[in-house]
Amino acid sequence: MKFGYWLKNGLLLLLFMLPLTASCAPAGNLQKGEKTTVIDMIVKMDRGDYWSTIKMGAEVAAKEYNVKLNFLAPENENDYKEQIQLMEHSIARRPDAIILAASDYEALGQVTDRSSYYEIPVISMDSEVASTKVKTYVGTNNYEAGQKAAERLVELTGKQSDIGIVNFVKGARNADQREEGFLDYVARFSGIRVVDIQYCGSDEELAYRLTRNMLTAYPGLDGLVSLSAESSIGAGRAVEEMGYGGKINMIAFDNPPEMLELLQEETVQAMVVQNPFNNGYMAVAAAVKAAHGEKLEDRIPTDTKLIDLENMLWPENQKLLFPFVK
Amino acid sequence: MKGPQTISRFLRNFHVRKIQVLISLSSITITILAVVLVSALLFNRFSKAAEANAYLNLGQIIEQVNANLELYVSGMQDIFELAQEQINAASDIPDDRQLGEQLGTILNTRKDLVSMALFTKGGNLVRGVPELPMRQNTKLTEQLWFESAIQNPGTLQFTPPHIQNLFKSDYRWVVSMSKSITYRDDSRIRQGVLVMDINFRTIDELSQRVGLGKKGYVYIIDSVGNIVYHPQQQLIYAGLKYENLEPVLNYAYGSYLDDSEGEQRLITIQTVKPAGWKIVGVAYADEFLTTKKELGGFLYGFLLAAIAVILIINLYVSARISQPIRRLERSVQMVEKGDFGTNVYVSGAYEVEQLSKRFNLMLRRIRELMDQIIQEQEAKRKSELDVLQSQINPHFLYNTLNSVTRMAELGRNEEVVTTITSLSRFFRISLSKGNHIIPVADELEHVRHYLIIQTIRFKNKFRYEIQAEPDTLDCLTLKLILQPLVENAIHHGIEKSAEEGFIGVYARINGNNLELVIRDNGIGMTQDTVDKLLSGRLRSESGSGVGVTNVQERIALYYGKDYGLHYESEPEEGTTVTIKLPIVRPETPKIEGDES
Repeated sequence: MKFGYWLKNGLLLLLFMLPLTASCAPAGNLQKGEKTTVIDMIVKMDRGDYWSTIKMGAEVAAKEYNVKLNFLAPENENDYKEQIQLMEHSIARRPDAIILAASDYEALGQVTDRSSYYEIPVISMDSEVASTKVKTYVGTNNYEAGQKAAERLVELTGKQSDIGIVNFVKGARNADQREEGFLDYVARFSGIRVVDIQYCGSDEELAYRLTRNMLTAYPGLDGLVSLSAESSIGAGRAVEEMGYGGKINMIAFDNPPEMLELLQEETVQAMVVQNPFNNGYMAVAAAVKAAHGEKLEDRIPTDTKLIDLENMLWPENQKLLFPFVK
Repeated sequence: MKGPQTISRFLRNFHVRKIQVLISLSSITITILAVVLVSALLFNRFSKAAEANAYLNLGQIIEQVNANLELYVSGMQDIFELAQEQINAASDIPDDRQLGEQLGTILNTRKDLVSMALFTKGGNLVRGVPELPMRQNTKLTEQLWFESAIQNPGTLQFTPPHIQNLFKSDYRWVVSMSKSITYRDDSRIRQGVLVMDINFRTIDELSQRVGLGKKGYVYIIDSVGNIVYHPQQQLIYAGLKYENLEPVLNYAYGSYLDDSEGEQRLITIQTVKPAGWKIVGVAYADEFLTTKKELGGFLYGFLLAAIAVILIINLYVSARISQPIRRLERSVQMVEKGDFGTNVYVSGAYEVEQLSKRFNLMLRRIRELMDQIIQEQEAKRKSELDVLQSQINPHFLYNTLNSVTRMAELGRNEEVVTTITSLSRFFRISLSKGNHIIPVADELEHVRHYLIIQTIRFKNKFRYEIQAEPDTLDCLTLKLILQPLVENAIHHGIEKSAEEGFIGVYARINGNNLELVIRDNGIGMTQDTVDKLLSGRLRSESGSGVGVTNVQERIALYYGKDYGLHYESEPEEGTTVTIKLPIVRPETPKIEGDES
């Protein structure tokens, strides 16, 4: 009688405890599994090697940091209105962080400010944006890139020379900074004159025409620098077609395949190459940190590389110049 | 305010030697040790198995990749050999049209064949398919495929993937297979380098597809450590990542655990034989060895739950054991305070139950004894009252004074004097300063005076005799035990007898006992009457009322049940009453003896 009572009590207790035991283990597991961070990456365009390489770098980082990455871009590279729309949609979705490559420095400032009301950290990548709310800027050190281009061009042309510049958009942050870096370096040499600066508005065709005009206007030009991929393609074509290949020293920007051929054919002497893969990777890494509330440096610059015929096919540069296996 | 109080009360009540604490602590310690031990063993066993399994899985995945790659590479090798055979067979390489067609056919069999070309030792193109113009500034003699073919004549060389820099076409990632061979140019035998470029895409896709958990990946290096494929190749070149290749180069195949990056990583290595490449699988231990973590988590939870269950059961069981004992203790405390009325009623463990039962029995016995004492005390007081009453028996006094009056009237002065003297002596001894215990001599004196008075009253109807052994005289006895019996002997024995009566009173030592004997030759009694008399059921209406029962009770009260009256009686013969008493002597002589 007594024993039965005890037994019953004990069994009841055990039965009561069993679910506890069972519920303990999965609870422990959930805590250990890292939470997936959701990051929206809004860029200028979802085509082209440059942006694809950024995406590739971002995806590598996403895999490494357990991130769900939404890669978003407007149809057109300069369509800042659609980019604002994308930003607004993104804010509505409340991701853990937003990475923005702003098409327009001023226009996207407001929407970037707004994201901070919802405590969504914004990382500025590639191109800066007019907002104090961004956590950091990840991208090419454009000023330094401009200086690098100037340094090599001065080496090539000597300290007495006339130089023309084909830039892309006047007022665009990157364009301005590259130009500023270039001009600041060149200003050290009294014998060097910058005779013409043209803006092609990221239009290859326009760049081609502007370069032709420039070469016609200044036939004795010693050096030419183009400060973006599009202006480089246009300018390169103009130089080649007008038979200036080898006569004029040209420094190009970025690494479209056309330019590499021109480099190998010695029409172009050097290229300042950005590292979009690293930009994408570092932006996601920074966004993960920002999403977890970590303090970040104001700027995270990625290096540019000066590529010439000598080093273009060094193993470590091949992957930079040709990010895709086709 | 309440919290600290509870805690301090708990601390006060906490005692290491408490049963509850003892049971709890010991069994908890043992069970926890056991559970921990079992858990540790289980964990060890299972995690080892899981680890082995993880290694096996990884090994199989890498093995699969390796098999695919080997198949692919050896297929390419076969094509290379086929091309080489064609070249060997042709007599005049630069201008053989048939050869161009044949090589073109070979090239077309595989989509990922980019180009085939034969170069002289000086680096000049002899023949190439597809037929495309050469690029400028290719520095092809410095290219790796060319150099290694020249350095290792006769063996097929594989390069890591690189950008093809030969023909004017797209810049493409290729793996070059090269070999220095002999060919015939215008029937002359010359040395040259045959190169076949394979699009790297297939290998790249194959490697990319391999998933080793969420973070894990596969990379390929060649025999000297150049990266063939790495998903983070750019980061490595940019110095943002680092892959520890040194230990990998020491392995042809196998696996090891690497924590050079601060994270435990399972490295599995396989070698692609034709190319001498090493496929390296990198899996993150925290992903791949989840079983270990899960098991650890489960066991941890299980341990906690088990300890909780054990703790609760323990507290419960030990409380069930110790609680009755504590209640018992509290009951005993009540008894200690003098409350004998409490009945300890405890259920619990068998032993505790038994203990409380016995304790209850003991308590009942104590209560009984106490009741008995109270009863005895009451009885004593009553009998003493009786004695007191008998001390001033008005009936006897009245009768005696009546006889004295009569004797005085008759002028029997002498008798009057004797009677009064005896009466006075009788009462003095009766009172004897309020003592209950008097020497045998006094008791005999008392009864002698009674007998004197009675013989005078009954006009010498009987004779009497008092004899005592000298030893008995200083023995102590209860007072007034002889007189009632002598009174009985006179009233019930001799008075009713026609013969001349005789009453003898004797005191003697018999063994360890003092015996006082009263013998009469009266009418005697039947045994039945004797029994009734002793049980107190027979009571005469006359007499002092201080009868046999009273004497019997008093003796029993003072000396115990072993002592008392013994009747021997025969009808028409007489009765003998023997009073058995212990030998008790006054203490004074002893003390004197000690002093001398």
